Amino acid sequence: MQTVKMVISGAVNAGKTQFIRAISEIEVVSTERKASDDTKLLKGETTVAMDFGRITISDDLVLHLFGTPGQKRFDFMWEILSEGMLGLIVLVDSTRPETFRETNRIIDFFTSQRDAPYVVAANKQDHENAWAPDELRLALRLPAHVKIVPCVATQKDSVKNVLLELLYVIMQRSAD
Amino acid sequence: MALVGNLRDFALADFLYLIDRGYKTGSLQLNRQSAAATLYFEKGKLLYAAQAQERESLGEMLQRTGKLTPQQVQQAVQLQQTDGNQSLGTVLVEHDLITREDLQRHIQTHIEETVYSLFGWPDGEFCFNAGVKLDRDDVQSPVPLGVENLIMEGVRRVDEWGRIKDHIPNTDMIARFVDQPLEKAKSINLTPDEWRIFARINGKDSIKEVISRTGLSEFDVSRIVYGFISAGLVEVTRPRPPVPATGRAGAGAAAGAPKRSLVSRIINRIRGM
Ligand SMILES: Nc1nc2c(ncn2[C@@H]2O[C@H](COP(=O)(O)OP(=O)(O)O)[C@@H](O)[C@H]2O)c(=O)[nH]1
Ligand SMILES: [Mg+2]
Repeated sequence: MQTVKMVISGAVNAGKTQFIRAISEIEVVSTERKASDDTKLLKGETTVAMDFGRITISDDLVLHLFGTPGQKRFDFMWEILSEGMLGLIVLVDSTRPETFRETNRIIDFFTSQRDAPYVVAANKQDHENAWAPDELRLALRLPAHVKIVPCVATQKDSVKNVLLELLYVIMQRSAD
Repeated sequence: MALVGNLRDFALADFLYLIDRGYKTGSLQLNRQSAAATLYFEKGKLLYAAQAQERESLGEMLQRTGKLTPQQVQQAVQLQQTDGNQSLGTVLVEHDLITREDLQRHIQTHIEETVYSLFGWPDGEFCFNAGVKLDRDDVQSPVPLGVENLIMEGVRRVDEWGRIKDHIPNTDMIARFVDQPLEKAKSINLTPDEWRIFARINGKDSIKEVISRTGLSEFDVSRIVYGFISAGLVEVTRPRPPVPATGRAGAGAAAGAPKRSLVSRIINRIRGM
């Protein structure tokens, strides 16, 4: 059985959990921080908001989806997650410019680690005040070769489309 | 549909870049405490900018700069009242109190100064409404202004490291020209120090190297490069990522691209979901 990974990252509230939930064939395993966990945080016990989902490709191939926050203090996660990683999706909440800087930090951190394929998903496009993908490209200063894909993480077809767009990028770099 | 946010998170320079590159038409409303300003853009160029509580009226400004005497201003205001709803500018031009060109030059300067003062806002709510057009009075509206020079001049007044660090997190970054800067570069006015740095940008040397060659301070070089970035002339990249350790099974695309057949199996599966 071969396992491949895709990593879904993005700032808090970007829609990572929602994204994986929309497509995973298993109930998404989330380690969300609940309100009641705040006391733990105060005591210094760090929790990591992670999500895990799965898509079976065939009898001998399975795709794992990992949602991971982009915060600096979770750097150690990247080492683990990027093993066998096919590519990365960076979700951005298109309605919240206050998260653009963090989004850029995530992209920056990721691209400084390795030269792996990624796409940016402009999430929450169903919101009235969502910045359009073209506007986000300018706001985030994404280079022309990086795809930015519109996304509504609550809709399975939209999530499928983002995954496929990433896969097309991966395909271009694949070996015979 | 509006683009809303705070200048603390998304700087005015970034917004102007978006307007320019996105070829935007619309109005940008800015609010900070009791201050407010509105900017109008058409196809990526600035048409007009005004603070809600202007320190002085058009008449006062023309008087202060010696273009008009107090008597002429008074005369124009009276004419304006009898003429009905004509703007003061229209009245001034129609009664030969000022030439159209002079008037436009003054208004243009005023617009520029207004924008420069807005670069000094550390925060403030912004709201951009696409498609909203200036209800314009032909006499008073100057030629649309390209925003690159506004950005360069505005950024010269920025003294917050934070803003600069957003774009240049460290001095190992390498500056290089964006793919098609030439058309824009022609219309940008640079100071001698800016030229010195501009001429050193080669897509190879790090900011650190530029600093040591020019003998300017890290802050000055960073701020100038930030200006180039904001004006869309230059982009900064990291040095190439370290080549990942080889031999690790499946350690990411760089260490060994996935097989085409594997990728197409995944694609087919997801298409069918
Ligand atoms: N309207 C809308 N809401 C979304 C979308 N994606 C996520 N959300 C909501 O945004 C909030 C944050 O999403 P979540 O997946 O928990 O974000 P995470 O912190 O990145 O895991 C939740 O209330 C989601 O229901 C979307 O595309 N459209
Ligand atoms: Mg989550």
